[in-house]
Amino acid sequence: MTQLLNKVINALEQIILEVIDTNTGTVKWVEGDGEWAIDLFPNAGNQQAFAINEETPFLQDFLFDATLIWQAAENGKLRSGLWTETTHTNKELYLEAIAIKQDQHNLLVITNQREDFEFQQKTKQLAREVLLSYDRLFLKNEYLHTRLLSILKQPPEQSNILTTLTKVIENAEFAVLIASSDFSTNIENSAAIKLFDQGTLISSQPSRPIDIILRLMQNQLPEYERILSTNSSWDGELCWISPPSTLKWLKVAFYPVKNKLNEVENWIIFANDISTIKHLIQRNEQLALQDMLTELPNRFSFLQMLEKHIAAKQPFYLLYIDINDFRRHNEFYGHDQGDKLLIELSKRISAVVKTSDFIARVGGDEFAIMLNNIDNQKACKIAIQRIIDSINKPFHTKKSESFNISISIGAANYPHDGQSVEELMKFVDLSAYNGKKNRKNSVQFYSQSMKDASHHLIIVEQNLRQAIKNNEFELYLQPIIDIKTNRINKAEALIRWNHPEKGLINPDDFIPIAEKSGLIIAIGEWVISRTCQMAKQICDLGFDIKISMNLSPSQVTDNNLFAYLSTCINDNKINPRLLELEVTEGVLVDDYSAAEKLLSNVRTIGMSVSVDDFGTGYSSLSYLKKLPLDFLKIDRSFIKEIVADDNDKAIVRAVISMAHNLNLCVTAEGVETKEQLSFLVDNSCNSVQGYIFSRPIKLDYFIKLLHEQK
Amino acid sequence: MIQKKICLLGASSVGKTSLVKQFVEGIFSEKYLTTIGVKIDKKTIFLENEEIQLMLWDMEGNDTYNVFQERYLRGAAGYIIVVDQTRATSLHEGLDIHTLVRQVTDCPAILAINKSDLPATWNMDDSENKSYQNLFDLQFSTSAKTGSNVEEMFSALAKLLLRS
Ligand SMILES: Nc1nc2c(ncn2[C@@H]2O[C@H](COP(=O)(O)OP(=O)(O)OP(=O)(O)O)[C@@H](O)[C@H]2O)c(=O)[nH]1
Ligand SMILES: [Mg+2]
Repeated sequence: MTQLLNKVINALEQIILEVIDTNTGTVKWVEGDGEWAIDLFPNAGNQQAFAINEETPFLQDFLFDATLIWQAAENGKLRSGLWTETTHTNKELYLEAIAIKQDQHNLLVITNQREDFEFQQKTKQLAREVLLSYDRLFLKNEYLHTRLLSILKQPPEQSNILTTLTKVIENAEFAVLIASSDFSTNIENSAAIKLFDQGTLISSQPSRPIDIILRLMQNQLPEYERILSTNSSWDGELCWISPPSTLKWLKVAFYPVKNKLNEVENWIIFANDISTIKHLIQRNEQLALQDMLTELPNRFSFLQMLEKHIAAKQPFYLLYIDINDFRRHNEFYGHDQGDKLLIELSKRISAVVKTSDFIARVGGDEFAIMLNNIDNQKACKIAIQRIIDSINKPFHTKKSESFNISISIGAANYPHDGQSVEELMKFVDLSAYNGKKNRKNSVQFYSQSMKDASHHLIIVEQNLRQAIKNNEFELYLQPIIDIKTNRINKAEALIRWNHPEKGLINPDDFIPIAEKSGLIIAIGEWVISRTCQMAKQICDLGFDIKISMNLSPSQVTDNNLFAYLSTCINDNKINPRLLELEVTEGVLVDDYSAAEKLLSNVRTIGMSVSVDDFGTGYSSLSYLKKLPLDFLKIDRSFIKEIVADDNDKAIVRAVISMAHNLNLCVTAEGVETKEQLSFLVDNSCNSVQGYIFSRPIKLDYFIKLLHEQK
Repeated sequence: MIQKKICLLGASSVGKTSLVKQFVEGIFSEKYLTTIGVKIDKKTIFLENEEIQLMLWDMEGNDTYNVFQERYLRGAAGYIIVVDQTRATSLHEGLDIHTLVRQVTDCPAILAINKSDLPATWNMDDSENKSYQNLFDLQFSTSAKTGSNVEEMFSALAKLLLRS
């Protein structure tokens, strides 16, 4: 019996030591042997007691934890984890110890874990090398992308752009292509030509690299059309198979370069050959279908699963989840915080979906979920609500700042909405994209009306672009009256769109679309330049009137804004003291650092700054103290009920006194009645604006008003 | 003879094993062989007429495949958080590990910003640099490849341990 036992123990490459004295670490060798064990304990004679000492420091250290097990009343065991021991003969042993207490026996089992060690070594080596390669790729891509963008965004007068570009991309280690908006012409580096070299065997005209990439995208990405039609960027992996012998995995990044009119002027395309990385991964079955970061199934694995369900004709709902403003988040908190967010998000979502459902990471910030065994929208909505609830709780950065995110969910049903993988993926992608109208959580089920709505948006955007080219905008001025002098001392410039067919359109109906499409930058620049002209004209007539203009969120974060503003001021030769910027409270909170930088700059040159819509959003006093500001504009909603509503009265009084404490002046917006006005006068409001004096009016009428007041 | 246990901690592939190899054997290899589990190396140094044996615990890097285990720190006289200046993420991982270690021990800690022979891909501004310095007893910019600051770092740590 013991002989058999001994054989088994030797086969397991274990030795068993019985502990004689837990305090001194004295043990007796009771079972098992082998060369490795003798190497490990060269001084342990057969059946002789010996002490575990600093010759084997790891084991000696483990005795501390082991003693707790041995001295406990209950049976128990504890593993030490793997360690490497270098023997006196300079051999390396890969070992693990287990402390066991079993029926009054205190045992220390030592196992030679060479096989397990080698297996772990191999898989982890691989996994870590893959992680490193991706990290490096990411860094290189990021760097070049930023560099190219800055070159391409230079004004066209600097005509040697092409030469500069060619030089810069030639040095890249991976394929780089810069194509015209319609992909008809492009420049590419030799790495690109080499990557897509099809050999000389092929008789027909070889395809251009750009055409190959586009073809692969078209065939492998259901969202291909959406990417092109919405000028979106994309990055991901494509597989290029070209018989007889080419099979390459490419990591492709595809970025639009847009002009101020939000039209694509160029595309920047990177392609990295990741076949070796892929090959490494594929050696490891599980990793091949897994997303490295979140450890969720990856895109390929998800598409496979979709195929399977469709082939089996099992109905399901397909969800597509996209994090709103993920790029912004990534830029603000950094790439590794972005990673952290993705991991956390994947965990939260996984925790609220059923085990029969299937969740995967299918793109940078995109997740897809297959909700199985659900056949009606109501049930699907319940599942979605669970997901939204889970992400509504705040997230934390490594510095423990907390923040919230929102997501856009697109949903489609198989078989009702689509019957193929491509169709379904295309629909949910479009739905999620459509939901992204604001920064709130949104859910869009695929429908015809959604398709129509997205069409409508595209039309308005096109019209706006036309409007910029045709100069269809006009600035109106609304007078602001200084209460002390009872005279106009300022005016707010307000934009109107003179549509050739629809007539005058209010900003509320087009600014949000302009903001979303990026056209706001061009429109904003027009406003700035026109405001400067008007201010100059008024000043030349001998009036001392300040004009304030509104800035939208994207303008505040636009790096070029201040430079543009300075140029306009210089060109028009006006005193910056005659200009004011108005930003909303929301912008100050969302883009605090950008806002702070811009506002300090403009105040340095003498302009003033006011906070619009005050009181509607965050009302965080902390930023008011920190930011360089001059005026608060109390939102019209408070003024409206000021006479009847005691709450509003109290709020307005509080705001005024707080503002005065911070040395800020207060302007009340939307003043319409005498009662409202006298309340404001009584409470030391500094200035007022509203229909009681004047609506927004055209420049010549405004000038007439000024003359009358003289 | 005094014995001191020193742990090397950090993300994977930052150069923990290479630093130990450079310090103990004076050699460096470009080839990356990831550490599994723990390996202990010893080196005896002389300091202020004292003989000190350093027990260098080189540990498997922490990442998705290996979570940090605080129990290996028991009995440590000091530890070194190694980060790789070509990968900004390794700094954040290093700081995370540091926070975890601080929950179990107050022993002296060193930040080793390794691979100083390669261009850094992150820029620390002065204030950041200061705030990290405050978290550690000492900070070194090392290269396991050229050996720059390696010896200096270990003996500075030993000196610190001798005094405490
Ligand atoms: N250029 C340069 N390379 C280094 C330096 N230190 C380490 N390396 C390289 O970085 C890679 C990883 O080094 P290791 O010492 O194995 O890293 P580690 O921290 O022990 O990694 P794990 O055991 O996986 O946690 C190897 O390819 C080393 O050659 C350095 O100072 N300079
Ligand atoms: Mg190592």
